[in-house]
Amino acid sequence: MAATTGASVFISSRLTMRVSSLKLASISTQGRNTLSFRLRPVPARLRVSCAAKPETVEKVCEIVKKQLALPDDSKVTGESKFAALGADSLDTVEIVMGLEEEFGISVEEESAQSIATVQDAADLIEKLINKTDA
Amino acid sequence: MSFTLRSVKVPPNSVNLEEARSRVFDFFRSACRSIPSIIDIYNLDEVVTKSQLRSTIAAEIRKNCHVTNPKVIDMLLFKGMEELNNILEHAKQRHHMIGQYVVGHHGLVQDLDSKDQGLSDFLKNFYKSNYF
Repeated sequence: MAATTGASVFISSRLTMRVSSLKLASISTQGRNTLSFRLRPVPARLRVSCAAKPETVEKVCEIVKKQLALPDDSKVTGESKFAALGADSLDTVEIVMGLEEEFGISVEEESAQSIATVQDAADLIEKLINKTDA
Repeated sequence: MSFTLRSVKVPPNSVNLEEARSRVFDFFRSACRSIPSIIDIYNLDEVVTKSQLRSTIAAEIRKNCHVTNPKVIDMLLFKGMEELNNILEHAKQRHHMIGQYVVGHHGLVQDLDSKDQGLSDFLKNFYKSNYF
């Protein structure tokens, strides 16, 4: 009984091994093509979408807080809009000028109009810094 | 009079409030960009920082924020540009800059010394300005 069961086990295992090996082979041939192409572009795409570094966002938040005279414990995150923090349009322009001075960049007219949140400002700063480095 | 650095680019009429508003922001931006040279010309390095001057300029602009007539805004802008040109041409002097923009409306006497603490309000108002 033990022998027969052992034999059956062997046979089944061989069969499964063959089947699994066949599957593995097919997967590996497909996998080599697809996996290798997928691995390279995805990290690049991830880097471009979340462009601003955290310390840039941090510095922008500091400048915003100082300019609008907000208390230190108020939450200024990447998504907070300038209008929601109590800044009127002149304040926004002043904040942009402060950022220009802090980071040594020069912001264009149209780009300055489009800044609405802290994250926008940080992304624009990153883009300008990278452009001057490149 | 020749304006050396920045010619007065304001044409006489803004069509509407939006255009006047964008001109104000352009003027503010050009003023802020010339702050480093102002500090350099008048040797204001130890007296004031760039962000203080920026806030002063913004406060001056904000004083007139309730104006709605585009022609009045144009006139105020013209005066502002003329002032900026005068400053950049060194037509003003250091004490003008310090009195008008650094100390500004706070008055020249600050309550810093201990002997000033007992001063009466009348005297403090007197030092501040002629008109109470």
